[in-house]
Amino acid sequence: MKATFPHLGNVYIAVKALFDGLGIDYIIPPQNSADALTIGSKYSPEEICLPFKIMIGNYIQAIEEGADTVILTGSCGPCRFGEYCELQMNLIKSLGYELNFIVLDMPKDIGIKELLKRMGKIASASTKSRFEKIKALNAALTVMHLIDETEALSHYLAGFERNKGECKTLLHECKRNAIKCSNPNEMISLIKYYNDKLKFISVDINKNPLKIAIIGEIYTVIEPYSNFYIEDKLMDYGVSTKRGLTPSWWIKNMALSPARLNSLQIKKSSQNYLSMEIGGHARECIGEAVLSYNEGFDGAIQIFPMGCMPEIVSKSILPSISRDHNFPVMSLVVDDMTGEAGYITRVEAFIDLLERRRENVLYGS
Amino acid sequence: MKVGIPKGLLYYKYHPFLVTFFSELGAEIIISEDTNKNILDAGVKHCVDEACLPVKIFHGHVASIKDKCDVLIIPRIMQLWKNEYICPKFCGLPEMVINSFNNLPLTITEPIYATSMNKLYCWAKTSGKFLRKNNYEIKRAFVNALNEQRKYEIGINDSGYEINIALTGHPYNIYDRFSNMNLVKKLNNLGIGIITSEFTKEDILYQEAEGLYKKPFWTFARENYGFAVNASKDKTADGIIYVSSFNCGTDSVIIELIKNSVPDFPFLILKIDEHTGEAGIDTRIEAFKDMLERRLFNESNISTLG
Repeated sequence: MKATFPHLGNVYIAVKALFDGLGIDYIIPPQNSADALTIGSKYSPEEICLPFKIMIGNYIQAIEEGADTVILTGSCGPCRFGEYCELQMNLIKSLGYELNFIVLDMPKDIGIKELLKRMGKIASASTKSRFEKIKALNAALTVMHLIDETEALSHYLAGFERNKGECKTLLHECKRNAIKCSNPNEMISLIKYYNDKLKFISVDINKNPLKIAIIGEIYTVIEPYSNFYIEDKLMDYGVSTKRGLTPSWWIKNMALSPARLNSLQIKKSSQNYLSMEIGGHARECIGEAVLSYNEGFDGAIQIFPMGCMPEIVSKSILPSISRDHNFPVMSLVVDDMTGEAGYITRVEAFIDLLERRRENVLYGS
Repeated sequence: MKVGIPKGLLYYKYHPFLVTFFSELGAEIIISEDTNKNILDAGVKHCVDEACLPVKIFHGHVASIKDKCDVLIIPRIMQLWKNEYICPKFCGLPEMVINSFNNLPLTITEPIYATSMNKLYCWAKTSGKFLRKNNYEIKRAFVNALNEQRKYEIGINDSGYEINIALTGHPYNIYDRFSNMNLVKKLNNLGIGIITSEFTKEDILYQEAEGLYKKPFWTFARENYGFAVNASKDKTADGIIYVSSFNCGTDSVIIELIKNSVPDFPFLILKIDEHTGEAGIDTRIEAFKDMLERRLFNESNISTLG
């Protein structure tokens, strides 16, 4: 078995750690690029959302490098993501490729037996003992957690750094080197090293940078290619950013959701605006917006792919939050036709607006 | 007390229930008029740009009656069948409406789970309490409303036409004569008979959907998919027309599923949105009819796909 998986931000680093630990052969698809998107939009249904198209690009590029099995998570919420696996299977098959799909769905929808069976398919490809398998899984979770933490730290400190660009350089160096590691433990210590290094960069605590929260649909906020590297750009501008949705948050959320102990803070803060779970991450989007206001952020940017059903609901709620709290929120819609220049202009204009609001007393009611 | 019911989305399927329930409780019912240009314009004005046409039209209906009633009903239909949803926008519909309008009257936005009698009654109880009625009155109204709903038959099953097509799509796209530009009448005038999914038995729809790798978790995905596949298998129809609103999330998936399952069966997708030109629709259905005629009467029924 030569496993592959679609890209989602830094997940590839953790998955590498997992497969290295399990001793399973794998292919990491080339980093998302215009190539992947071109391939994806060529074959995908026209009206499907952006993540689907990029994922198809990932698969085909991975197949060309020799992959034969895709590992994909699923969902059975009302969001379209749950139907991806079926459409993608049909699509890949009709293109004449041989590709097995292993879909890891929630146990409450397919039954715990079926889930274990599907996980068994992955585990059986590994020759390691059960203890080593669990150790590999644990290491992968640690890597995921660490890399998310490092990323969040660098995004936040970017507003305070004395040497411009230091955070960004360290973060990218960390990712570049992490992928070169050959075993999980080496990777963990490497990421820890960079994490510590970040903690001790020279910062100016008297600075009061703009703080922006990135909220919205989980794929487009996490995957930098789909949002035109917005977080990197904001780091260049010296803006501190925070993003609540990360792969490690997702794992924690999934694990706690059967006990209904997941994201309590988000649930509480979204109560006034959206009291129900409506699928996707609409509720998280609303909760994050309110939370970031409470934490003293200057504004929030919502990013979602064209036609995303849950985020359309949250987009119609966000103006109310904006009005009630006097808190600027901008919505950016991305799809395969988005022009980068127009997009960046809007981000820059938003930053200008936030800056002016701060310095000028003319704003406000 | 005046209760307003907007004539949008699943009103077309479940209005006997809503209307009977609230009129039995002694409320005066205010229903918005049929969709028209003014309603569409008001909807486009108030709703977020990214939403689909039916949701925009629903906003328009709300705009047209919001000043005439004391209580507005915004049905939050979560589930009609177990483990199935309609669409995230249905679950968040009240929030979309409430945040898009200023000075709305009171709203009833209790979630509706029609998966069991008890759960549906929960909705009735909370909504009835809203009108200050006691349990006995609510129960009576609920039972009567359910009976009314059971008596109501929706769906089209034409006979006596040479060519028959299966008309699929969300009910609000099929039965809203304004948004689909009177498609049903247009097809009938062209000499095409129509069958809709309501005349295929539930268990057949379930059976067809079982052939899929993943059980569809949208009610209309299962119904439309099952109906379209069944119609082509049993030859109850000569072609399929799918009425879909632009940017509909569920349709983008359902259409692909149908295309995969019936690759060489005549299949026309009509996209509708707030700008649709009527001439374009006319041309497309006329061309589809020509194609069906040629396929049925002039040529042997061989797929050109090989």
